[in-house]
Amino acid sequence: MRKFWCLFFMFWPIAAIVYSAMSPAYGWWFPGASVTELGQRIDNLFYLILIIITVVFIGTQVALGYALWKAAHNKDEKSHFSHGSHNLEVIWSVAPAVILLFLALYQMDVWRDFRVKAYFPEGTIESPIAEVTARQFEWRIRYPAPGKKLQLKPQPDDLYAVNDLHAPIGRAVMIQLRSEDVQHAFFLPHLRIKQDAIPGQVIPIWFKAEKKGLFELLCAELCGWGHYKMRAQLTAEREVDFQDYLKKLQADQNYDGFPASDSVAKKEE
Amino acid sequence: MSVRWQTIVALMLASLLAGCGGDTSKARFAENSALAKQLLPKARKAVQKTLDDHFGSPLDSVAWLKLPVNYGKAEGTVKTVDGQKLSVEFNAEASDLESLTSPELTRAGLLFTSGSNAGKQVLLAKFDSKNSTFETLPGLESAPSSGDQFVAAGHFLRHGRKLYARHCQHCHGVSGDGDGTTAKYLNPRPRDYRLGVFKFTSTASFPAPIKATRDDLKRVIALGIPGTYMPSFVPMLKENELTAVIEYVRWLAMRGEIEKGLVTELKGEYSKDRSKDDGIDKSLETYLSETYPNFVNEIAGEVGEKWSGAEEEGTPIIPKKPRPQDTAESRHRGKELFLGNKAKCVNCHGPTGRGNGPMTEDFQKNPDTNETYAERGLYDTWGQPIKPRDLTRGIYRGGRRPIDIYRRIYAGIKGTPMPGNSQALSEDEIWDLVNYALSVPYDSQAPKSPKPHSVAEHSMDHGHAN
Ligand code: HEC
Ligand code: HEC
Ligand SMILES: [Cu+2]
Repeated sequence: MRKFWCLFFMFWPIAAIVYSAMSPAYGWWFPGASVTELGQRIDNLFYLILIIITVVFIGTQVALGYALWKAAHNKDEKSHFSHGSHNLEVIWSVAPAVILLFLALYQMDVWRDFRVKAYFPEGTIESPIAEVTARQFEWRIRYPAPGKKLQLKPQPDDLYAVNDLHAPIGRAVMIQLRSEDVQHAFFLPHLRIKQDAIPGQVIPIWFKAEKKGLFELLCAELCGWGHYKMRAQLTAEREVDFQDYLKKLQADQNYDGFPASDSVAKKEE
Repeated sequence: MSVRWQTIVALMLASLLAGCGGDTSKARFAENSALAKQLLPKARKAVQKTLDDHFGSPLDSVAWLKLPVNYGKAEGTVKTVDGQKLSVEFNAEASDLESLTSPELTRAGLLFTSGSNAGKQVLLAKFDSKNSTFETLPGLESAPSSGDQFVAAGHFLRHGRKLYARHCQHCHGVSGDGDGTTAKYLNPRPRDYRLGVFKFTSTASFPAPIKATRDDLKRVIALGIPGTYMPSFVPMLKENELTAVIEYVRWLAMRGEIEKGLVTELKGEYSKDRSKDDGIDKSLETYLSETYPNFVNEIAGEVGEKWSGAEEEGTPIIPKKPRPQDTAESRHRGKELFLGNKAKCVNCHGPTGRGNGPMTEDFQKNPDTNETYAERGLYDTWGQPIKPRDLTRGIYRGGRRPIDIYRRIYAGIKGTPMPGNSQALSEDEIWDLVNYALSVPYDSQAPKSPKPHSVAEHSMDHGHAN
């Protein structure tokens, strides 16, 4: 019976490790490598933490298993009662504290680059590409007209889209995030970006997509019964394609029943 | 792994449901009882039966080929015939076939396109997808023979119904009555499709209102209706899903209109208050067996024609001239019209476009019954109070393109008091109004605008990712 318990308690950590090791094969992992460089740095932090945790986990479980196994074979020695060991207490308080402090310091530059406005890449703050407004239950997007700057208040020539965000690749861009009603969260898993949208605030988010593609844009804050409906997409495309997209959007928005070239109003622009 | 999870969850749910004993196979479309209760009970039953025969129930819907609904088609050829058992071969792609393996198809029926039964439709009793054999219900005069071609229709209906149930039903209701479970919390209410009236269409309203086109419905479903609870469904729904759900919405609308048409017809002679009349039962019986079946076909034909009319080429309103330059003069002319007696926009929208014109303060009459509403203000065709749009907000439910606003002013907004102006105003005048209407949000913004949203200065303050 002693051995049974020993094996029983060893089975679970082993199962947990095997299970975790298998997860990526089942697609239970990141949705591919990050499309942004900053995202890769975030992933690196994640892996660093994962490695530390794994080492600690395996270490403690092996120690536990060893102790159990040894005790199972040792019928002579009696167990003895202790009030604890001061030294041990110090060791296992200080060791995690050191690790946590290390992590806190080590991740600071990533956090700074992601969040602190003064460190946003050049050109992002001055000309955000779009305002994204979360609303139960959709993402409404407002771009400035080509060649213009995004203003806080809607302008007559602004361009509108819904659930369809476009951004150029190869340069850092910024969007302004808002919420029209409740709290939502702007989540681009492929870009490793997640940011709450808070009513009454305009929150800047920057990213630099390195790769073309269609990426999911989700809401990551349970915001009401239609939360699942808040699925949009980000089209990351070459700069020229992005400019073409804006022009197409502009032509569509100015549509008056005639092809753009025939329109008096549009010619003038 | 996910399959296993699904099985486990399904088993858990099944064991739960088994306890409740809910029999979903008996799900029914709700009756339009406000209308139907005006009829003699027998007449009411007859209407219900007609609807059951031609539309079925939500889980067992019938593709009535008389209606201009694209049910989705799979073509095939009869291989062997054994009484009412037909063994067939589909010309369809395998992927299409997959969607054919549905119990609903059995109610969809086969339409023969060649052979002695060409042009005839027969309902199916059974469909065995593995062996591609059908069992038909009786109803064909001559037996089909090997080599006859047919069209089996209905998988769009099934696909559409599933999507509708998942995404739309809780607002728009099982039968499209706009009375789903969440509907009572919403203003404006979700659309009741059963009148067949849609607001944001590209089609004319004079001399008679034309239905919404498929493209109109698609626009609404893809872009949502800003300023209301109707959300955008793209990119969540893919192109083929949009097609299916649009057909389902049209089908529900036609069903509702046919129901209304039947009740209106029967109400003339067989209304509830005639239940005491001598010989009314006998008369109803004769009517039901002799005249009624033709009438059912007639009304279905009429409703169908209206819907297919909307799809004809050239129905969308396109002005003859493009939008003129958006100059101060044009806006000024538009403003004069807006305030003037010719267009009368001011009566509803108010002098500054805030939607507070004098008509919103008056008692209005219901144009159908000629009765005055109990409360002040405007009402829509569905009997709900409605406010003229506050044009200073720059939110356009039917779209903000100049063509959208042009169409709203030209044809009005169907189902609402907002009238069409295709007769009262010239094209130039409508364009001036468009230019003015689109400028209102920015004109009123300048002097006394509400405080802008506070801008977060320190991004660190709210920098927590959740
Ligand atoms: C959260 C509730 C909600 C859901 C879910 C919803 N709708 Fe709506 N829908 C509305 C409301 C509210 C309106 C009416 C808006 C108005 O009157 O301006 C509407 C209007 C419509 C209209 C009428 C447009 C017109 O021009 O008159 C159509 C068609 C429509 N919805 C289709 C759908 C379809 C299809 C789905 C599912 C894919 C769906 N809706 C899901 C709330 C909803
Ligand atoms: C009898 C009242 C009435 C009159 C007259 C009227 N409107 Fe409206 N208007 C309405 C109502 C009600 C609505 C909102 C309908 C709805 O529910 O979408 C509306 C909506 C609008 C919209 C918003 C369309 C959208 O897509 O959101 C515009 C623009 C508009 N009206 C312009 C005009 C102009 C221009 C005139 C004069 C030619 C005019 N209206 C006359 C009642 C009126
Ligand atoms: Cu949300």
